Amino acid sequence: MAAELTAMEKNMKRRQRKRNMVAYSFIAPNFIGFAVFTLGPIILALLMSFAEWDGSNAMKFVGLSNFTQIFADDRFTSALKNTIIYSIFTVPITLVMALALAILLNQKIKGKSFFRTVAFFPYVASLVAVAAVWNMLFTPAKGGIVNQFIMNVLHGQPLKWAASSSTVMLTIIMFSVWKNMGYYMVIYLAGLQGISEDLYEAASLDGANAWQKFQHITVPQLKPTTFFVTIMLTINCFKVYDIVYMLAGGSNGVVNKSAIVLVYYIYEEAFRNWKLGRASASALVLFAIVLVVTLIQFRGEKNYAND
Amino acid sequence: MKSKKNNRIIGNIIIYALLILLALMMLVPFLWMISASLKFNKDVFVIPFEWIPKAPRWQNYIDIWTKIPLAKFTLNTAKLTLIVTLLQLLTSSFAAYAFAKLEFKGRNILFLAYVATIAVPWQVYMVPQFMFMRSLGLADTHLAIIILQAFSAFGVFLMRQFYEGIPDSLCEAARIDGMSEYEIYAKIMLPLSKPALSTLIIFTFVNTWNDFLGPLIYLTTESKKTLQIGLKMFISQYSAEYGLIMAASVLSLIPVFIVFISLQKYFVAGITTGAVKG
Amino acid sequence: MKKRILSSLLAMTLVVASITGCGAAAEQAPAADTAQTETQAQPEAAPAETTEAAAETAETTSDEPVTLKWALWDVSSTVYYQPLIDAYTAAHPNVTIEMVDLGSTDYSTVLGTQLSGAGSDFDVVTIKDVPGYVSLVNKGVLEPLNDRIAADGVDLSLYNGVTDQVTIDGNLYELPFRSDIWVLFYNKDIFDKAGVDYPTNDMTWEEYDKLARSVTDTTPGAEVYGSHYHTWRSTIQLDGILDGKHTIVDGEYDFTKPYYEMVLNQQKDGVCMDYATLKTQGLHYSAAFAQGNVATMNMGSWFIATLIQKIKDGEYTDCTNWGIVKYPHADGVEAGSTLSTITALAVPTSAPNKDAAWDFVKFVSGAEGAEVMASTGNIPAMTNKTIVDIIASMDGFPTDDASKEALITSHTYLEMPANDKSSEIETVLNEQHDLIMNEEVSVDDAIAAMNEGVQAVLAQ
Repeated sequence: MAAELTAMEKNMKRRQRKRNMVAYSFIAPNFIGFAVFTLGPIILALLMSFAEWDGSNAMKFVGLSNFTQIFADDRFTSALKNTIIYSIFTVPITLVMALALAILLNQKIKGKSFFRTVAFFPYVASLVAVAAVWNMLFTPAKGGIVNQFIMNVLHGQPLKWAASSSTVMLTIIMFSVWKNMGYYMVIYLAGLQGISEDLYEAASLDGANAWQKFQHITVPQLKPTTFFVTIMLTINCFKVYDIVYMLAGGSNGVVNKSAIVLVYYIYEEAFRNWKLGRASASALVLFAIVLVVTLIQFRGEKNYAND
Repeated sequence: MKSKKNNRIIGNIIIYALLILLALMMLVPFLWMISASLKFNKDVFVIPFEWIPKAPRWQNYIDIWTKIPLAKFTLNTAKLTLIVTLLQLLTSSFAAYAFAKLEFKGRNILFLAYVATIAVPWQVYMVPQFMFMRSLGLADTHLAIIILQAFSAFGVFLMRQFYEGIPDSLCEAARIDGMSEYEIYAKIMLPLSKPALSTLIIFTFVNTWNDFLGPLIYLTTESKKTLQIGLKMFISQYSAEYGLIMAASVLSLIPVFIVFISLQKYFVAGITTGAVKG
Repeated sequence: MKKRILSSLLAMTLVVASITGCGAAAEQAPAADTAQTETQAQPEAAPAETTEAAAETAETTSDEPVTLKWALWDVSSTVYYQPLIDAYTAAHPNVTIEMVDLGSTDYSTVLGTQLSGAGSDFDVVTIKDVPGYVSLVNKGVLEPLNDRIAADGVDLSLYNGVTDQVTIDGNLYELPFRSDIWVLFYNKDIFDKAGVDYPTNDMTWEEYDKLARSVTDTTPGAEVYGSHYHTWRSTIQLDGILDGKHTIVDGEYDFTKPYYEMVLNQQKDGVCMDYATLKTQGLHYSAAFAQGNVATMNMGSWFIATLIQKIKDGEYTDCTNWGIVKYPHADGVEAGSTLSTITALAVPTSAPNKDAAWDFVKFVSGAEGAEVMASTGNIPAMTNKTIVDIIASMDGFPTDDASKEALITSHTYLEMPANDKSSEIETVLNEQHDLIMNEEVSVDDAIAAMNEGVQAVLAQ
């Protein structure tokens, strides 16, 4: 009995090992390249947050002093605050807009491929062009289209948009949604193709209306896609940089405390001041936040898988 | 019956009105680019913006080829983009299959490592990575750019999520039929994931095509440089030729559109009902 | 099935092989290695050599071919690189100079990354601005030049005191070869039309303000702006340091107040364009001046070459009749005090051919290089009356005497003198400049914030 069990155990172990090997063989081609050229430098960079380094002189271990320094720097704390505010608003709005757009462009309509391409356009268009058009609409001058609308239709005060500390984040958030929703729409569009037509047909036979179908078929079936979109959106929002530089930096590329974001701060520390340790420490903070958000998402995904 | 038909017509009108409005909003930057590409630099950022230039400068579209070696840059970019996209597609869809459909030791932690690294901004590890690549003799080579772009975590994550949406029962059935995991991947998963593969191609293509900072840091020899570095060459220390930049940008978008338009047709029901039933 | 896997594997190996082929990594590596060993060998030999010995070796080794790698930007749009190289290689036929264009937009970032560690093979690097210079010096990647300057008897006094402003802890790590001064550009047609006398080479700020206002027209749709300030802080903030009593790295900025007040009032009265609009619109100063409705604009002398070229090309049609005068000055200060920026050359500590590199740097920054620079219409760092004559006689340069006279300076102050904390100080000053010009913070509050912020940076 005991011998049999060990034999069975051995057999199982061997099969498990074989299964592991098969799985590793799938992962290896990508993972080796990834581990050597990306993961390695990243781990090194994150360890650098406990050191002082300028890229040339010897690295010096300094414990937590980089962290105490950045948290004492109000440019960093502003950057952290701005990034979080930006993400809290941009993630859900972009998600909903992208999904709505994807569902709309998944209907049987004429010129579908044209509209899909057009929606993807702001994402691929030159940032300079997109920002220039945006600044024409949302110019701080009274003569701008949006300000005219506010004054004449809403009878409000004209706003200075990107030029004012109170409205600059709002401007950046709106701009970002407009520029990026087409990108996430593409992911949703692909995700929608994975939903079997049968499910909708069956629901129709049961007399479900469009909203019910959306709620009980589309949303749950899209869960893996939504998981991906949420995480990528969160990460990309926390890594926002060029949009802010373009809109708030203006022609001299100076980003103020009212608009500074984490990656801009990191850039400044790393390549203007050459304090790579402080840049890494800031990145570790960013990394920690994103990791927590991702882990929460993972929990959610597992629960779904167990359903 | 008639009112139902009327409702549908009204619904259609609303949908199209919405779509056209949306399309306009999205197209304005493109029109701006075309308009700017036909102007002298001094007139590009002047407000009020002249949408249809009085004296369009078609010369811009000729100048971009002579002022910088644009043809060579385009060729380099095309080469890099093709290789990166191909590698990315092969390796990530392969790895993603294991993450989505196989049970193995360390699966979750490995996957988390992939996803988490996406969160680290490149600016932070750029310097150590560059020094490492240079020590391997890869500075100023195209291979460096290929390595940087081809093994990204993004592709694995994207593909894994799409595979998750394919029912496990399909794989189980195939296993019972005696198919190896490689066969399942090649014969069942790949054909089913056309929309996902298309998405990955589009994104990888766009990213590599538009990558700027990577080539800028790594490629110093003129003949190895890429399109995006070329675009920045029109911005010199004391003046910026936005007319020329926009002319080159308009042209550089053409391949992106071709790829998008030719692939978006795969965004049609991927999982056919037959496959699930079978 | 197996056949298929095999063939796909084969295809993959082919792909990999073709990649490694195109990378040409194998060819590159040995070259880098030899470069490194040379670097290590040289420092031991260099200090032992005396002046004459150095000169001798330079002559004896003159048949040995050397290739110098020179890091710079804007190769295609900069007119003097090739003439400088040609002039040097004519005298030193054994030397080949290879230009490596790192692009102007992110030059300091790219150069800093390239010079990280010790594996770089640049022999000569161009230094774009002072903060970039300071950060490279702090990183310890630039050769101190004092010994070489002393050994070769380079006369630093010919640089009009500029080298003192970039000396760090008694050491000089760069030699300037190009220098730009700030002048006041003006559009003669606007003054002719308004019947107002042209600006002069001796104007106080009050006179300048009055003049700008006298040609301003605020009629909507037909505006004429008496003055134009680009969004940089240098256009306003730095006007205050020209009295020679203040510097921008003191930690005390009360002296900037009158200049901010003057410009804010001009902005309010429509004499100049609104800062917020300019900033978001991203209008380049050259485009602003080219519209033909800007009467005066304070800007660096680098704009001269752009103007001449663009007018010749037929792009600028509304400002063809332009001139320059000396920068306005504060009461009681000599006319001709102005801001300047320098472009310099340095030798990295990792340079494979340091001696040859230094010889090239010395040439470009010296009298011979200065003449080449002037012949291309650019102001060399080593400047004098003859150089000014060469520039003013350039085709397209305004023919009036005042414009020529405007190039002669009495005192020049660097936009940013070398300071350990240059880039951090700049961040503080830029932020407050932006807040003042957007009229979000009063001038007094912003100056208080500058004082506090910069003092905190200096205390670190």
